[in-house]
Amino acid sequence: MHSPMPSSQLWPKPRNNGILRTEALMGTFVSIHVVCEGGDRGRAMREQAVERAFNWFRRVEECCTRFEPSSELMQLTAQVGVPARVSPLLYEAVQFALAVAEESGGAFDPTVGYAMESRGFNREYRSGKVIENSLDSSRSVNYRDICLDPEAKTITLLRPLILDLGAVAKGLAVDLAARELRRFKDFAVNAGGDLYLGGCNPEGEPWSIGIRHPRNDGDLIDCLRISDRAVCTSGDYERRTSNEQGHHILNPRTSSSADEVASVTVIAPNAMLADALATAAFVLGPAGGMELFDRMGVEGLMVTPELECHATRGLSEYR
Amino acid sequence: MDKSTLLLLAVVLAVFGGSVAAGHPAWGTFTGIAIILLAAGLAAGTLPLKSQDYFDERIGPTQRISSSLITLSSAAIVAIYAAGYHRTSSAAHKFDSQTPQARGSTTVATVTPPPPPSPATKPGSSGPPAPASKKNNSRPATPRKGAPKKSGDSATSSAPSPASDKAAPDATATPAAAAKAAYKDGVYLGWGSCRHGDIEASVTIQDGKIASAVISQCLTRYSCNWIAPKPPAGALPDLPAQVVERQSAKVDYVSGATESSYAFADAVIAALAKATE
Repeated sequence: MHSPMPSSQLWPKPRNNGILRTEALMGTFVSIHVVCEGGDRGRAMREQAVERAFNWFRRVEECCTRFEPSSELMQLTAQVGVPARVSPLLYEAVQFALAVAEESGGAFDPTVGYAMESRGFNREYRSGKVIENSLDSSRSVNYRDICLDPEAKTITLLRPLILDLGAVAKGLAVDLAARELRRFKDFAVNAGGDLYLGGCNPEGEPWSIGIRHPRNDGDLIDCLRISDRAVCTSGDYERRTSNEQGHHILNPRTSSSADEVASVTVIAPNAMLADALATAAFVLGPAGGMELFDRMGVEGLMVTPELECHATRGLSEYR
Repeated sequence: MDKSTLLLLAVVLAVFGGSVAAGHPAWGTFTGIAIILLAAGLAAGTLPLKSQDYFDERIGPTQRISSSLITLSSAAIVAIYAAGYHRTSSAAHKFDSQTPQARGSTTVATVTPPPPPSPATKPGSSGPPAPASKKNNSRPATPRKGAPKKSGDSATSSAPSPASDKAAPDATATPAAAAKAAYKDGVYLGWGSCRHGDIEASVTIQDGKIASAVISQCLTRYSCNWIAPKPPAGALPDLPAQVVERQSAKVDYVSGATESSYAFADAVIAALAKATE
């Protein structure tokens, strides 16, 4: 255990007059760091941009949460068999999720929502509120039970199902925040380990990113230098179910936790893609995952429970 | 000799041919036409070459798929960003008006103390460090500018619908009667804990309601090990603030599986318990 540190250490002043803010959002901690050079000139502008970036997180959460019956996502799930007109945000998120499902042969599947709930992933992170949905669970669903109409921008659910955009929404929020901050060049968005790194760190070097060791808490298994890229990691070591028997990444084909891999890290142009591909690769296992990375043109690192590391060839460029 | 140089040469020769044609009609016309044809041929020859390169680059059996998914994700981000705040905020208001109760009233009953969030969570997680040191370390709560109300809502709101009442565990530490009790105005601090550290929430109560709930402090306890070939690099500032001073940190951020922020809920609950005392 630790003892309380002096307050100056608790809140170190970022160098170069930077802005660093953290909030509890989307079930995790989101921190945004904008590196500023020079004095106060433009600081107000940066602070406003940081506020707008956080607002994107709130907006995405509001839209895509499974924990609020009034969210657009849950309102969509209430309408089965009829085309529902949805916001651009939800439409694009679902469209992308379905595209990844298609590319990964169903290893990534946004319709695992009900299986998640029935396995105990049903507690809202801020209020502790437990949600319950009564669905006819006897029928299995998959991503093909969702139809999109690109012209009318409508989504039709062919069967009762619960969409889980968890693996897409957080990455999307990171990307929208990053886009809001893009003009400042040097910044970092960290949503509980899902990262987008713009430009350089306060020392003027590419951001140095540690990859968490999947078994030794507090250790790193690799260290990468990242600039203008997103890094996302999926692991089996967070968010265990309440019955302690599984983690939060379900194999859509078996509705049980995937177990060939302990940790998957993906480097991609945006966090939405990185997050989704990390989740898909987790389910596919090392061989299928590496093949997926090569085919998608992204870099990845997969660690098995025995701590074997599989990395794409291009990953060494980031070391 | 690259293509642009060839083109330039062809144009110069064409001009030359034109001027010769002006002086000596017969020869000039002949050479002029020949040179212009040559130039046209070169120009025509270079264009397919270029597009050939283009296709070679873009359409490989693997590249095409990858670019489609990368393109799709990038396009989605641009589309949503372009749709912008006006539409998104109006959608938010729509939800607000649809569920006035859900967002307007925040009660203790809906903020139920959660069961231990992760296997490694310590028992008695809601008050780690000594109260005296807390006071010294604590910063005054500063409700976010612009959206103080919203932040309070977003931090603790949940719909007091029949479903949620039913779903709330019976064995809550908060008495059901407290649901009706208004909070006392003021700023309250509470601690929550997860295995990566402790978090202090600062909850501001105004007019008996939560005006804001923000993270006021956090302590993470990442160790300094890093077992790769290189010598031990630094401590890992990962959770909310970069707790450890930068000089000691060789890593800017850590990518890992998403850490849940149940600790924040615990901290808010602990703070709210004080507000009802």
